[in-house]
Amino acid sequence: MGMLSRMSTIVKSKMNRILDSAEDPNETLDFAYEKQLEMLRGVKRGVVDMVAAKRRIQQQASTVQANVHRLGEQAGQALNAGREDLARLALQRKQAATIELQGLDEQIAGMELEQEKLTAAEQRLSAKVTAFRTKKEIIKAQYTAAQAQVRIGSALSGLSEEMGDVSLAVERAETKTENLRSRAGAIDELAQLGVLDDFSGSQDPLSKELEAITSAQGVEDELAALKAGLPSAERKQLPGA
Amino acid sequence: MIIRITSEGQFNLPGAFVDQLNEIDNELVEAVEAADRSGYATLLKKMLDLVRTEGSPLPVDEIVESDLILPEPDLTLEEAQVLFVGEGLIPG
Repeated sequence: MGMLSRMSTIVKSKMNRILDSAEDPNETLDFAYEKQLEMLRGVKRGVVDMVAAKRRIQQQASTVQANVHRLGEQAGQALNAGREDLARLALQRKQAATIELQGLDEQIAGMELEQEKLTAAEQRLSAKVTAFRTKKEIIKAQYTAAQAQVRIGSALSGLSEEMGDVSLAVERAETKTENLRSRAGAIDELAQLGVLDDFSGSQDPLSKELEAITSAQGVEDELAALKAGLPSAERKQLPGA
Repeated sequence: MIIRITSEGQFNLPGAFVDQLNEIDNELVEAVEAADRSGYATLLKKMLDLVRTEGSPLPVDEIVESDLILPEPDLTLEEAQVLFVGEGLIPG
């Protein structure tokens, strides 16, 4: 069994779940039409979800990107203050964030492609739904129940197939959106752990230590400047000088 | 005959191309079994391109059932393997 028959089986298995034909052809037609509208709404929701997930991760990515830069700077500050341990910690976090950011662009691009496909699927289905609505009214008006049953058979199976195809597209899009969401969650954690953007208010131990050493350094510098400005007689009396 | 490319739409392909399509299909199955990544990608593209170039797209408002349904263009080798192996549908 090849790709051809396998794929046909899959799409058709989707169809059967979507449309079970009712006894009364008029009922079948109306039910089918309802199902189509429902599916169209589902596709639209899929696109909206996808766009929202993408936006969120794009924002996070740019935040983490900025933080990668700051962590690099902070590593430099720590090293200047003779705290190699802190510098190492900052660099480790910087690397972890960089790795997480890698491939993100690719994922976002893949998402955009999926979004285009879903939008195209929506348009195709929309055109078919419109055509079906016309056809349905004609069949209802012109044929007896028995005749209608035959007439709608082919239209329904053609339409079910389109719906099967679209529902596969929606499933794929949902999977990708879900993947992107869990990625966004991972990045959130990373942002909370390693990012030192709120230098003064952060509870992060690395931030605190860095803050401590930079302010200590600032005090030392100021003290040195003061000392340099003092006459030599008074200078002797300063403790520790 | 009417052929659907999943996620892309339907085409009307002259019946004369069906043998060619089946040939590619057989090679494709071999490539999937052998996990031959580049062979798989090439053959899938070849198969879909045949339908795209030799077939004519069906108007979107035409509602007909397809005789054959082909996978979507970006189906990965792994997904293809699941299609076959995962469902246990390769009878050797």
